[in-house]
Amino acid sequence: MKPKLAPVSKIKPETPKTTLRIKNLRKVFRTNGSFLTVLDEINFSVKSGEMICIFGRSGCGKSTLLKILAGFLSPSSGTVLLNGSPVTGPGPDRCVVFQEDTLFPWLTVKENIAFGLRGQIREKNAIWEEVEHFLSLVGLSEFRDYLPREISGGMRQRVALARVLILKPKVLLMDEPFASLDAQTREEMQNLLLSLWEKLSHTVLFVTHDVNEAITLADRILLMQKSPGRIRDEIRVDLPRPRKRGKSEFLFFSNKLYEELQD
Amino acid sequence: MTKEENTKLHDSVFQMLPWIIPSVFIILWTVISGTGLIPTYLLPHPVDIAKACYNYIFGTPGEASYSGRFLSDAVASLIRVFSGFAVAVTLGIPLGIISGRLASVQKLMSSTINGLRSVPGISWLPLAMIWFGIGIKTTIFLVALAAFFPIYLNAAAGARQVNPLLLQAGAMMGVKRLKGTFAILLPGAMPHMLTGLRLGLGISWAYLVLGELTGVPNGLGAIIMDARMLGRIDIIVVGIIIIAVMGRISDHLLKTSMKFCFKSARRMP
Repeated sequence: MKPKLAPVSKIKPETPKTTLRIKNLRKVFRTNGSFLTVLDEINFSVKSGEMICIFGRSGCGKSTLLKILAGFLSPSSGTVLLNGSPVTGPGPDRCVVFQEDTLFPWLTVKENIAFGLRGQIREKNAIWEEVEHFLSLVGLSEFRDYLPREISGGMRQRVALARVLILKPKVLLMDEPFASLDAQTREEMQNLLLSLWEKLSHTVLFVTHDVNEAITLADRILLMQKSPGRIRDEIRVDLPRPRKRGKSEFLFFSNKLYEELQD
Repeated sequence: MTKEENTKLHDSVFQMLPWIIPSVFIILWTVISGTGLIPTYLLPHPVDIAKACYNYIFGTPGEASYSGRFLSDAVASLIRVFSGFAVAVTLGIPLGIISGRLASVQKLMSSTINGLRSVPGISWLPLAMIWFGIGIKTTIFLVALAAFFPIYLNAAAGARQVNPLLLQAGAMMGVKRLKGTFAILLPGAMPHMLTGLRLGLGISWAYLVLGELTGVPNGLGAIIMDARMLGRIDIIVVGIIIIAVMGRISDHLLKTSMKFCFKSARRMP
C-alpha cells in the first residue's frame, strides 16, 4: 500500500487564480473584398472574482471582443483561455447579458429563469426552488408569472441577469446591459449587480461607454481605442465601495476617463 | 351610467360585431325576395333555403332527394379535407423551417416552389384525374398541393425571422442545436406558422370543392355540382352556406387547439 502523502502543513494563502486569459487576440472582418482590423494585439487576464470594465467609444470593437469571449465569434488569431482550456463556442460557463431584449417572449418570468437550468438539473422541485431563490435575489418574486412584455425594461434586465446567474457561470459577460434604461433605473441595476456580485462572487466583464458606470463598478478599467481596437491603458480603481458619485476621488477618476475619451 | 356598465355594454356590442354582416345580408335578401323582382329559380327565398337546409340535415334519408344526406356528405368531405391538410402540414412545416434557416436549402427550393405556386390549382385537376382517377385520391392530392404553399412559405418566413439573439442566448445557456430547434426556433416561429396553417386550412376547403366537382358520389362539393345539374338552386345555396360554416368552425378549432397545445401560440403578442 502506498504511503499517503503527508498533510500539507502550510495552508496556501488564498491567491485568486486567473480565470480568463486573452493572448494576442486579433479579429479581422472582410467587407466587400477589403479587410478591416477590428481588434489587434489584445492581451489581458482576469482574476477570479474580479469586476472588469471594458471602456471605449462606440465602434472601438469592445462588443466584438465580448462576442469572441462568449464564443459567438471566433478570433482571426490568438487564444482565449478559461481556466487554462481554450474557448471554442458558447457555453453556460460564460454567460452573457445582452443590451437588447433577449428573453423568450412566450415564457413567463420564472420559466425564463428556469430555461438554462433544465439542461443541468432533472428534478423539477430542485429547479423551482432555485428559481424562487434567484427571483427573490433580483426582487421579482411577485412578478414570477408575468410575461416579459408585461413588465418594464429594467425588470426584464433583472430577469436576464437572474437567468444566467442561476447557471453559476465562471465569467459573466455584460454587453452594455443597462444602456437602454433611464438614469435612475440604470443606477438601481448597477447597485443590484454589485450586491449580487458581493453575494455570489462571480467574475464580471462589463462593456460600457458610460464613465460613471465604469467607475461605480470596476476594480479595473481597460481602456480601448479605435481602429484598430487595442487596449490602450488600464486604470485600477482603488476606491472603497460603495462608491459615491459626488466624492472628490470619484470625480478624479471620472475626469481622468473623460480626458482619455478626448484623445 | 357608471364606467363599468359602460364597458360592459361596450363589450356586449363588441361580441355582436361578427353577426352584423350576415344578419344585414339575410334581411336584405328577404326583402328583395319578398318584392318578387328576382325569380326564384335564380335566387330562392331565405325561408325556402332554411327549409331545404333543415331537410338536408335532419330529414329521413330517401324520403325526398337530398334529405338527410348531410351527415354522410360532411363525413366524406371532412376526411378528404383533413387527410389533404395533414399531408400538407407534414411536408410544409419541416421543409419550411429548414429552408427558413438554411440559405442553401432556401436557394435550392425557392425557384421551384414559387414556380409551382403560380400554377392555378384547377390546372392540376385533369392531370390528377389521369393519375388518381375520380375519387378520394384526386381530392386529397389537390387539397394537399394547395395547402402546402401557404404552410411552407409562412413556416419559412417564421423561421427566418426568429431573432438570432434568442438562439445565441439559448446557445450560451447550454442548449444544443436539436433542443434549441424545439425550445426556441419553433416557438419563435409560431405566429407565422399559425398564420400559414390557418391559410392552408382555408384553402383546403376551397380545393375540396374543386376535387369533388369531378363526379364523386358524396361530399359537400359533390352535392353542389349534382344540384346544379338537377336545377336545385336551393341545395346549391345550402351547400355554400354549410361549407362556409364548417370552414369557420374548423378554423376556430385549429386556433383553439394550437393555443391549448402550445404556450407560444397561447401567448402570442
